[in-house]
Amino acid sequence: MKALSVKNLNVAFGRNVVLEDISFELDSGVIAAVIGPNGSGKSTLFRAILGLIPYAGEIKIFGDPIKAALPRIGYMPQHFDFDRTMPITVSEFLSFTAPRLRKPKAETICGDVQVDTLKHKLIGELSGGQLQRVMIAQALYKNPDLLLLDEPSSGIDIEGAKAFYELIEHLNTKHKVTVLLISHEVNFVHRFADQIICLNRKLICDGAPAEVLNRETLNKLYGSRMNLHLH
Amino acid sequence: MLELLNYPFMQRALIAGVLLGSLLALMGIFVVLRRMSFMSDGIAHASLSGVAAGLLLGANPLLTAIGFAAVFAIIIALLERRTKLSSDAIIGLVFTSGMALGIVLLSFSAGYRPELTSYLFGDILSLHWNELALMAVLGVTIAIFILARYRQLALFILNQETAYVHGVHIELFRILLYVGVAVAVVLGMKLLGIILVSALLIIPVTTAKLLANSFRVLMMLSVLVADIAVIAGLFISAAFDLPPGATIILCGMALFILAALGRKIVFKGLM
Repeated sequence: MKALSVKNLNVAFGRNVVLEDISFELDSGVIAAVIGPNGSGKSTLFRAILGLIPYAGEIKIFGDPIKAALPRIGYMPQHFDFDRTMPITVSEFLSFTAPRLRKPKAETICGDVQVDTLKHKLIGELSGGQLQRVMIAQALYKNPDLLLLDEPSSGIDIEGAKAFYELIEHLNTKHKVTVLLISHEVNFVHRFADQIICLNRKLICDGAPAEVLNRETLNKLYGSRMNLHLH
Repeated sequence: MLELLNYPFMQRALIAGVLLGSLLALMGIFVVLRRMSFMSDGIAHASLSGVAAGLLLGANPLLTAIGFAAVFAIIIALLERRTKLSSDAIIGLVFTSGMALGIVLLSFSAGYRPELTSYLFGDILSLHWNELALMAVLGVTIAIFILARYRQLALFILNQETAYVHGVHIELFRILLYVGVAVAVVLGMKLLGIILVSALLIIPVTTAKLLANSFRVLMMLSVLVADIAVIAGLFISAAFDLPPGATIILCGMALFILAALGRKIVFKGLM
């Protein structure tokens, strides 16, 4: 069964067309990366997949409509806007998102993403990197079959990004979680992803990294300034 | 001073005060953290039309005010969702037109209406047992909803997108929260009056935020601050013949100042 099937997706805000006739599919158990320049509609694609915005076309997740599949999706947003003066601890926030999650499972997730030492901190007092780890943990607390990560490693240094992608690879191989992530780090996704979806309001490419990540595609997406250096 | 407890009016006032103080403090957490203070104030003022309709029709003004306030809350929630008007503008429209309707309705009622003053400025000492029963039923129902759903409500006010992904029905929670605030505000009118009722939504949680190190502690401290302010305010007002509503608010403010000073001293000591 396909983990995700997007057919003829169109999204417009007023007269501004943000996504035009996007179609692609993800097999269960893959790591797929969406790449594209700023304003290319990557986050809008995620918001449509989650049912957060109106769209035309068809989106099916594990064969189900979005609403039915929502409990199977873990989501880490690019920006998490909230009132930083709100006194809520990391531990409370995580438990509020999944009150029925068993303690050993919760502890394993917190250990995996290294938030176990942050549990008693207020989320308003976390650094950017710490908050990102907490947001990954809340996505994993749902025990998802499909994980949507919107620029999960932005703001982390190269070593941190490498460790993060290794964690994603671990979740994918060990827990069979299908992962769809947005990234600017073409070099990393080349190494870790099974499938690349290139977006610039339209679908520019869709396939295995070795097939689609070439100079021609990158020029189409980013112009001639982008070079591919593998880490 | 404890002999005041022998009087039934004081017993009713204390029971109602603690009940409403706890309810408004719990609601206040979501009002303050979601920055809905103007909305609660607007609903309180707009519900004058409900009070006026009750007085004009010879019905219980508390009941008609609850009905009107709930309708206003639903109108605000729907207009916020379905129009491009800003939330402030929508609340301003409902606030002023509700009050205007109240003034027009009151103009049809001949003569001086002393009950009206009790709704404008609060008069907890004149509370009847049947009004207390109504407050208890509605107040406890709303409090049970909050305590049963505080996790979802906390996620809702923290970040709606995240709440939605974790299964919170955003539209339903928005309407339930607005209606809950509206009903709590109208119930609180008898204690503090239309003009001052928002104070018990704002002061306890603002005080508790200074001291709380978690959401659960915030909830407990907010209720504690509200109840201390209500009990102290009622006894002081009875002892010195002061207006109870205003005295309760001044007691709340005193607790806020104490908490702010205490926090400053503790932080200075740690540095």
